[in-house]
Amino acid sequence: MAKPRVSAVMKQGKLTPWLYLLPALIVMSFFIVYPMINTVALSFQNKDSTASAATTCRDTGPCWGIFENYRYALTAELDTTSLQSTWQSFWTSSYGNTLKWIAFMVSGTVILGLLIAVLVDRVKYEPLAKAIIFMPMAISFVGAGVIWKFMYSFGTGQVQIGLLNAIITGLGFDPVPFLSTVGLNTFMLIVVGVWMWTGFCMTVLSSALKSVPGELLEAARIDGASEIQVFFRIMLPIISPTVVVVITTMVINVLKLFDIVYVMTGGNFNTQVIANRMYTEMYKNFQTGRGTAIAVILILAIVPFIFMNIKRFMAQEAMR
Amino acid sequence: MKRAKVNRVLNKIPLHAITILILIIWIVPTLGLLITSFRPVSSINTSGWWTFLSAPEGDTPRFTLDNYIDSLVGYRGNHTYREDCAAGTQALDLHCNLSDLLNPRGMGRAFLNSLLVTLPAVVLPILFAAFAGYAFAWLDFKGRYLLFAILVGLQVVPLQMTLVPILRIYAKLGLNGTFLGVWLFHTGFGMPYAIYLMRNFLGSLPKDLFESAYLDGASHWTAFRKLAIPLAMPAIASLTIFQFLWVWNDLLVALVFLGGTKPVMTYQISNMVTSLGAGWQLLTAAAFLSMLLPMIIFFALQRFFVRGMLAGAVKG
Amino acid sequence: MKKQTLVILSVLMVFAFVLAACGPTATEPTEEMVETEEVVTSEIDCMGAQAGDEINMLYQWSGGEEENLNNILRPFVEACGVVINPESTRDQALLDTRVQAGTPPDITFWNVTQLTQYQDSLIPMTDLGVHEENYADYWKSIGTVDGVWLGLPVKADPKTLVWYSPAEFSAAGYDVPTTWDELDALVEQMVADGVVPWSLGMESGDATGWTGTDFIQDIMLVQQGPEYVMGIIDGTIPYNDPGVKAAWETYGKWAMSDMYTVGGAAGTVSIGFNDAILKVFSTPPEAMMVKQSGFAGGTVLETYADLVFGEGYGFFGVPGAQGLQGGSDWMMSFSDSDAVKALVAYLSSNLGGETWAQVGFDLTPNMGGASAYTDPALLKKAEILANATGFTPDIGDSIPGGFGSAEFAGITEYVNGGDLDSILDNLAEVQAEALAQ
Repeated sequence: MAKPRVSAVMKQGKLTPWLYLLPALIVMSFFIVYPMINTVALSFQNKDSTASAATTCRDTGPCWGIFENYRYALTAELDTTSLQSTWQSFWTSSYGNTLKWIAFMVSGTVILGLLIAVLVDRVKYEPLAKAIIFMPMAISFVGAGVIWKFMYSFGTGQVQIGLLNAIITGLGFDPVPFLSTVGLNTFMLIVVGVWMWTGFCMTVLSSALKSVPGELLEAARIDGASEIQVFFRIMLPIISPTVVVVITTMVINVLKLFDIVYVMTGGNFNTQVIANRMYTEMYKNFQTGRGTAIAVILILAIVPFIFMNIKRFMAQEAMR
Repeated sequence: MKRAKVNRVLNKIPLHAITILILIIWIVPTLGLLITSFRPVSSINTSGWWTFLSAPEGDTPRFTLDNYIDSLVGYRGNHTYREDCAAGTQALDLHCNLSDLLNPRGMGRAFLNSLLVTLPAVVLPILFAAFAGYAFAWLDFKGRYLLFAILVGLQVVPLQMTLVPILRIYAKLGLNGTFLGVWLFHTGFGMPYAIYLMRNFLGSLPKDLFESAYLDGASHWTAFRKLAIPLAMPAIASLTIFQFLWVWNDLLVALVFLGGTKPVMTYQISNMVTSLGAGWQLLTAAAFLSMLLPMIIFFALQRFFVRGMLAGAVKG
Repeated sequence: MKKQTLVILSVLMVFAFVLAACGPTATEPTEEMVETEEVVTSEIDCMGAQAGDEINMLYQWSGGEEENLNNILRPFVEACGVVINPESTRDQALLDTRVQAGTPPDITFWNVTQLTQYQDSLIPMTDLGVHEENYADYWKSIGTVDGVWLGLPVKADPKTLVWYSPAEFSAAGYDVPTTWDELDALVEQMVADGVVPWSLGMESGDATGWTGTDFIQDIMLVQQGPEYVMGIIDGTIPYNDPGVKAAWETYGKWAMSDMYTVGGAAGTVSIGFNDAILKVFSTPPEAMMVKQSGFAGGTVLETYADLVFGEGYGFFGVPGAQGLQGGSDWMMSFSDSDAVKALVAYLSSNLGGETWAQVGFDLTPNMGGASAYTDPALLKKAEILANATGFTPDIGDSIPGGFGSAEFAGITEYVNGGDLDSILDNLAEVQAEALAQ
């Protein structure tokens, strides 16, 4: 398909775009591109970066030569004795968990963020409401870690200092150890993530909603459209580029997110996610080769979303 | 007429009900932290925070300002600042008067350091990103798609991977332990996302706007300054809030590039707890103290989230 | 409108610049010249260090712990005028980054594993003027990597202790056991009396399981002895050896049943280690004993400030243990400047040992301080330490790589009902791999 052209009206120098881009490009090449190349190089070496990864092969198992670190990164958590065990162990591995996080946290934060942005747009106490939703982001994880201890805490005595268990025992049931119950715990952690990041989605989506012209909405309402129709037929299409941006950014954030898991469970009880695993390999196991291999996998995981974004980019320009 | 009015009010009730319900659920954990920060440490460990209204046994008070006082002055002992001062057993760098607010181990000085780190680290990336975003959105050049793709991808590079290579270079350049080094790092690292957001926002502005400007003889520079930037204020406001938050709450980058001799607030806060977790009641108060400025910024920038910024521009 | 914001921002920036420039930036702990008790400064050899020389220090201590360190270093700082630039973090990433990037601190107080990890960058203690005679052989050997003495042990915290309430014991007529069989019998007696003997909670965020692995190691010290444990650490004894299995089973019998421990298996896995300590001293107590490190005393006092050591709370050494297990902090140096030499000499001297003991920052392996403790709990621990025939560091801390976290994951799985043999086999593999490289 022919590449959409930007407006042909404006003449511009050949150099102009690069002048605008120069400061950004310089800074980014230095601080991100160069370390990234470094990271990829390290992923093909052993843990001290003193020899190729091929030398870390053990006799007692498969070996992928220079990709040995990748073999470890991709298969170490899997139980490959049978197809079924591989499937099951996949879902409790860091890959499976990360998929769960992406699915539930991204949809949770985006949907809630959108819903709240639309709701508070119409109430007088909008700034206060937005501040309440946004506050968890401002608290940062130092404080948040303490807060959620008071929500999920599991006590065995008469006294529960965790709110959820206090409610549960108040209703007459036994207290639930939320963070150590496999399966449930990942979702409890995702709840914390959603609580923290919805404010982000709400802020960005709210600024997009504000640029929907008021007249359009009024006209539609006068014509008899219900609020739901106004939302789905007018607002959503107009802000859809921003929704794509928010979804992409949240996927990236979820991929990089590790402090919630790190602080609350350390990846134990099958809560491990990719980013935390990278951190563990680098700084607890001192395996630089493996840690960087996991980082590279993380970077590659974003590729499908890059395609989605480029397509949007091109569609947007074609519409102009 | 009256029925229409009543209808409108009734229509609003579900709106308010749902909104307020969401707000209540949302604020409960934060409220828990706030209440905990006012409780004495012995109560915190032994009863749930929602019981704060019932009097505990003995003569422990129900509420106390001690957590806040202790975090402000950077108290490090086993009791509380006020107890120590009353007994005369305070640490040698505390003087039991107002000058303790500027104690190097307290939050006062760290607040200034945090501010000094954060402000340029917010202004610079947004400035660079505004330029780059405009270029991607409204300028035509070879390689825009490839460059943009790389940009999106760069957002995923984990922070930890960048520390060692950059630190090595900084050591050679003498940027180690300087504020300039931290500003540059935060700028570089914050760019991909900032450009991404700016590009998207600028790209969604109506083409007619820019066309009529170009037709009137405006250069790109003028269009950028007079049209793009003012119209992009909601995006700039969002970016400011997020970049501010990210730099303000960061600990690792400050520690690696600036060092512990120029402590920022996050560093002081992390130092309030011993290796074994003792003193964590101070964290509750410190978390709130640290949150004040970001929330002020958030409120201050709310006026850029106003509908109709575009309306006048299109007509005019 | 926009201009106003810009102006305000710029004013704030300028304001911040000016203030930051005017205030002192370093956070030296002992800036003021304060008169302390009579310090025989002539005993401190400054090894040629000049006043104003700097030492960059990185350590994991913060809060009250940092206060303790400052009090210990004060005589040294005053005598030699050395300026200390401290940084505190528990983030391994920071230390690794600094070392890898070629900008390490002058000294760091960190864990024993780092001696092996950074062995290429560390300066031998013997080049730094250390007083060898104040350290027992087993300390020196732990601190020696490939024949070179790289780390100075400065702080030891024995873990092989059982905390209990002497008041509760005497009320119930229990005696402190002196042999393992007596301990076993006591546990059964408690169960028969309808009380819960142990509080074994091991939740600890990303290190959940460490109280369990500590207890198992202590059991190994009883059942097998310190050489056995050192054999595991250097790999000559594989982790799935029957001796190891026996220790796990002894622990498991208590940890997985709500007759023996609070909350049974679920309680063990999800009760925080601090809460577990407090359960022995609540009113009424939820358990009778908790096996825990020395810091437990401080934890008890934080919540139950009225208890008196020896009456309301106390400890006894794990009966029958043929050595001690403990946590230790090690000083290692990347620099051989005169100031660093002076610091090493000070800390390893008699005065250094005495000061450490008087400040009461846990135990000092420096034998010069053996009789200078003022805290009764520390005195008792020091006695136990002095009588130990061996000191074993924590297995998980000593085997490099992922063994430590694998051990934690393994014990959590075991208590949750996992198969012990496969867990131990897996750990043996991790051990082999970690030690092979």
